Amino acid sequence: MNNRIRKYIYICMSVFLGLTVASCNSNDSKGESKLVINEVLVKNVTNYQDDYGQHSAWIEIFNKSFGSENLAGCYIRVQNNLGDSIYFIPKGDVLTVVKPRQHALFWADNQPNRGTFHINCVLDAESDNYIELLDSGKKLLDSVTVPAIALADDCSWARVSDGNKEWEIKGVDSNKYVTPSTNNTTLNSNPKKDKFANLDKFGYGMAISAMTVVFSGLLILFILFKFIGRVAIYLSKRNAMKAKGVTCEKEAKEKKLGEAQGEVIAAISMALHEMQNSAHDYEETVLTITRVKRSYSPWSSKIYSLRETPNRK
Amino acid sequence: MGDFISFLSQNLADFWTYTGFYNATPGHIIMILVGLIFIYLAIAKEFEPMLLIPIGFGILIGNIPFNMDAGLQVGIYEENSVLNILYGGVKSGWYPPLIFLGIGAMTDFSALISNPKLLLIGAAAQFGIFGAYMIALAMGFDPMQAAAIGIIGGADGPTAIFLSSKLAPNLMGAIAVSAYSYMALVPVIQPPIMRLLTNKKERLIKMKAPRAVSHTEKVIFPIVGLLLTCFLVPSGLPLLGMLFFGNLLKESGVTRRLAETARGPLIDTITILLGVTVGASTQASEFLTLDSVKIFALGALSFVIATASGIIFVKIFNLFLKKDNKINPLIGNSGVSAVPDSARISQSVGLEYDPTNYLLMHAMGPNVAGVIGSAVAAGILLGFLI
Repeated sequence: MNNRIRKYIYICMSVFLGLTVASCNSNDSKGESKLVINEVLVKNVTNYQDDYGQHSAWIEIFNKSFGSENLAGCYIRVQNNLGDSIYFIPKGDVLTVVKPRQHALFWADNQPNRGTFHINCVLDAESDNYIELLDSGKKLLDSVTVPAIALADDCSWARVSDGNKEWEIKGVDSNKYVTPSTNNTTLNSNPKKDKFANLDKFGYGMAISAMTVVFSGLLILFILFKFIGRVAIYLSKRNAMKAKGVTCEKEAKEKKLGEAQGEVIAAISMALHEMQNSAHDYEETVLTITRVKRSYSPWSSKIYSLRETPNRK
Repeated sequence: MGDFISFLSQNLADFWTYTGFYNATPGHIIMILVGLIFIYLAIAKEFEPMLLIPIGFGILIGNIPFNMDAGLQVGIYEENSVLNILYGGVKSGWYPPLIFLGIGAMTDFSALISNPKLLLIGAAAQFGIFGAYMIALAMGFDPMQAAAIGIIGGADGPTAIFLSSKLAPNLMGAIAVSAYSYMALVPVIQPPIMRLLTNKKERLIKMKAPRAVSHTEKVIFPIVGLLLTCFLVPSGLPLLGMLFFGNLLKESGVTRRLAETARGPLIDTITILLGVTVGASTQASEFLTLDSVKIFALGALSFVIATASGIIFVKIFNLFLKKDNKINPLIGNSGVSAVPDSARISQSVGLEYDPTNYLLMHAMGPNVAGVIGSAVAAGILLGFLI
């Protein structure tokens, strides 16, 4: 392989690798748990009631993935001034399967005999509560420290929106409301659509940005295959030179080495076809090739054309 | 006896209320006529019979009037009816990727690989999508609906169905029928635009014969194509993934049986199901609206814009190319990804002006590039709007 081609390969590979590495997202979003603690209410006075009509503290788990996740076998651990307790989420209850982007609510009332969603822990209203969600192997999925002292009655400590990294106090004003078993922020619009509707009323932005991406994608593909094509031509020429014992590039060019003639390809193809489909000792097919001056290819034959153009009768 | 006769007559009267004759509305009759026209065009004029026969007959199936209050579970929009279950593949968008698998397994990208600059024509023709998008916005459609309508200009039925099922499911029937109808009408729509935008000298340009493409290049193409396009536009993965996968099955040379299934029985089965259910989804009560009329008008416009932009792009491109490397602008229309019809149009219009100038092999390059381009464009629209 000559130095020029080698140089091209190195440059292309370096650019591709560089781009890939540089564009790799280094944040820790990858490998994050799909199940997260989403909202916690410690002082439940008049808020959400459980199925026994009781106002108890609750912990909301959110499935941030787009596939169902099963909580059965996982653990909820609570550490506070009242002690350290861990709850095993029982298997066998279909309700522990959390649907995509949905929630599961657990009552921290220390009444596990009331059902799967009543845990054997209580939250302390007078101190910080450290809550962990662990998988069946007790590997940490998510944790949060709830500053209970800072929370007023019926106020929750919640992620700003479902699965968001930022936490805030909900229930303090009408824009930040407590949302047991539902989205932390109610989505009543499609922000992306609205953005286009407001900022790109005539569609120029969409046309320019989208056409830029389409062109860039196909342009890169063009450059790549231009390069791959050159390498392929070089390799076929080199192989032909080797086979013919030619070492001089000029001579190879004069003899048109590496540029297979159509009839040679046709003969090889027929031989391969015969071998693969009807292998026998005596070949019955005779291939007669008559050279014509007019350039010919199967594409120019009407027989090989695709369907006829519809004609009005 | 009198009671019995009254019982019989009551029964027959009840039965009458269940018949198509009783429930027919002018809308049903109009749609049945549309279905019959599709079938006529497919059989008598041979306009895309593989598409128009299933769609045309599907329109008849979907527009047989019946008592919709009786809960017979026969209509395509009635949950768990047979047609509704078959329609699931359209609604949830899994028919189109399977069609793309078959397309990949039957497409030869050699023309494109040997002359990769033809890829850019496929990109230019996608302007039809965004031209129609802008016009649709001006006509009062919201951005998501406008994008779903614009994709008709990609001239790619499966892509149009896939995108509209995600962005504007309520318009999907009209968009799908419009996309397939105009794909069938490519021989009518494109030639006048091609003649209008080119002069005689340009039409006579003879392009260099493409070089032979090695097996290695053909194997590399789907792999590199997938990695590159999907890294850039991951939302196009279902379509592009299947397209390139099908092509690798074909080109690898070691999965002949799989490739044959993908481009034969599989694509045929899905085409039948897709065609019939898309046709049946044009139930008059859902389909005959002012929006449908607008969509049909926009669909025609998007095809015109796509064809024109492909041709104009080639003309501009030629300004930068060496004399012996010029591209015949008559292949510009092939950037519209109606494979292989628009390439065939390039060939037949080219032959009109020079009976020795065969453009088909060259036109197949932008034609298959158009398939990639429209799938990429669909991915971009999905990424931007969802």
